[in-house]
Amino acid sequence: MQIVVFGLNHNTAPVEIRERLFFAESQAPHLLKTLRDRGIRESAVLSTCNRTEVYFCTDNADSSLAAIKEVLEKHFDVDRRILEGYTYTFRDESSYKHLFLVASGLDSMVVGEPQILGQVKDAYRMAVHSNTTGYLLNKLFHKTFNVAKRVRSETRIGYNPVSISSMAIELSKRIFGELHNRKVLVIGAGEMSETALKHLKKEGLSNIFIINRTFGNAKKLAEDIAGIPYPFESMSDLLGQVDMVLASTGAEKPLIEAGLVLQIMKRRKNRPLFIVDIAMPRDVDPSVNNIENVYLYDIDDLKDLSQKHLSDRLKESELALGIIDGEVAAFSSWLRQSEKNPLIAYVIDKAEAIRVKEFRKASQKLKNADEETIRNIEALTKAIVNKLVHPHVTLIKQDSDREISETIKRLFTPDEEDEKDLDNRNEGQ
Amino acid sequence: MNVLIFYSALFCYLLSALSYLVYLIYNKKTVERFGHYTLLAAFFIHLASVVFRYLQAGHTPITNMFESLSFFALCIAGFFLYLKRAYAISSLGCIVLPAVSLLLIWALSYPTDIRPLPVILKSYWLPVHTTFSFLGNAIFFVSFLVSIIYVIAEREIKRKKSLLFSARFPSLETLDSINYRCMSYGFPFLTVGIISGSIWAGFAWGSYWSWDPKETWSLITWIVYAILIHNRLAIGWRGRKTAYLMIAGFISILFTFFGVNFLIGGLHSYM
Repeated sequence: MQIVVFGLNHNTAPVEIRERLFFAESQAPHLLKTLRDRGIRESAVLSTCNRTEVYFCTDNADSSLAAIKEVLEKHFDVDRRILEGYTYTFRDESSYKHLFLVASGLDSMVVGEPQILGQVKDAYRMAVHSNTTGYLLNKLFHKTFNVAKRVRSETRIGYNPVSISSMAIELSKRIFGELHNRKVLVIGAGEMSETALKHLKKEGLSNIFIINRTFGNAKKLAEDIAGIPYPFESMSDLLGQVDMVLASTGAEKPLIEAGLVLQIMKRRKNRPLFIVDIAMPRDVDPSVNNIENVYLYDIDDLKDLSQKHLSDRLKESELALGIIDGEVAAFSSWLRQSEKNPLIAYVIDKAEAIRVKEFRKASQKLKNADEETIRNIEALTKAIVNKLVHPHVTLIKQDSDREISETIKRLFTPDEEDEKDLDNRNEGQ
Repeated sequence: MNVLIFYSALFCYLLSALSYLVYLIYNKKTVERFGHYTLLAAFFIHLASVVFRYLQAGHTPITNMFESLSFFALCIAGFFLYLKRAYAISSLGCIVLPAVSLLLIWALSYPTDIRPLPVILKSYWLPVHTTFSFLGNAIFFVSFLVSIIYVIAEREIKRKKSLLFSARFPSLETLDSINYRCMSYGFPFLTVGIISGSIWAGFAWGSYWSWDPKETWSLITWIVYAILIHNRLAIGWRGRKTAYLMIAGFISILFTFFGVNFLIGGLHSYM
């Protein structure tokens, strides 16, 4: 058995190609089932805006690869040349090293970004639901989550924020602490504000006031993100109330001058004011930053910090590579160990299949149960199966007695058909 | 016996200080919990040692350098525990606890034996005057540390070059609001400390105020904090300016306590 990955990412393919090969989560089950029908027993697919990848286990890599390309060609309706020209294939050690790198954020466009781990987890969950994971992929993905967690906790790769909006949030936390019940004023209803606001919204801001030269646009943005539109003239009033200002208008000259802010700070009794100016040219006079208790960051300040944080992350990524190399070596030796004894894989696979089947039956009956209960039940089934399987595995490892092996094999083979399956498999080794 | 208990308290403080330093570097929740519980243990053992010493001596054990420093440290630890309940400020432990530990180690460099109480200190005013004064000073010590962190973190955020320091410590608003709280507790304590001292002086020396260096300096301290409160409430001073005045106020306290004891002398230099 061989672990292989086939796919493309932001390094090998431009965005136009990545877009064409992107598939939504809802399409994944269909794709996975198609692959299974083509004889690829274990597979998982990962698709984000930066990558589309198929991870699979196979006895014959070349024929499986050909099958996958065929399926993808049909599914996305793309030319074969695209699938050949912009993609990569990693086998064996380099395939799981690649997965470790991806999950740890080392293969991401923004090194160390944390979302990718969640996306890898989703990909795995999808494969489990579609019943296309087996002994090897289960082991591989669990190991991957483990490695990614280690990289996160043992290096500072994800420590400092790098995106403009996450940095603005981080800064406002440094100034205000929790952002619950804070108020923000948005000046200008452009697209920039919208993305930044979506991030801010997650932090639990209480009020978002929106003003814009054209009131209609303010109203529209307010509807999109549940904010409150105000006429442009009320800017100075609102500045007195809010904690944070997000400015991104297309104005030619600064809207907010130092004199105005000085007045406002008096009215605010010097309560701190954090201003993020992402407009170009700037909406806020830079000298505003010199005023006591006012913190002004413009787009260049944020970009400089972002650059600095990114280079910190690159330094950390060397440390992370060390961790990953160690884990790759460990996984390789585990794999060799288990290949020596296909019976172990067989037993665990069978037990897992029974578990998944029974668990699914039970969870269909438990429609009213909440998610935590379901999770607990699943953990329970896993624990029982592991406890039951473990002595068999130990026995197989300790004793190469043919008779015992045969007995164990029989124990885990419910009917004739499966037995044939096992025979085929042993011949294949 | 009380000194033995004192040593075990010091041990716990050191353990707690160490875990808070480790927490600062590795940011592990379990380490923080350990630091918190050892701090709790240290505080109560320390309190026990002070109570024990009180019972042994038969008078309030704040009459010499060892006792004063020990009681001062106890007040700091207690106030920090109180603040921890109100704010998420575990990271400040890595500064407060080493400070407490150092104070206690310093205390040990003075004689620890119990001596008979000088006649002049035999008064009901002794516990009132010393307890309030030290409580006030301890609260202002905490605000002094908080202010130093505030000034450094604020500077970092204003200069926009890096965010390494402020990442480790509470937000500017949290620090500022701790300062405000310190001010509103510390000032009344300090005031009661000074007034009770003055009344006691009236009884003991026959004059309520004799412009002895310690009295003069405590008045200066009081005025600094009074200005601070006035500016905060009336003019709305916040943040950096408050922090600077807090630092100035504590330097004045230091001078009142140590400067006068060691450098100038006068009616108060018993220790």
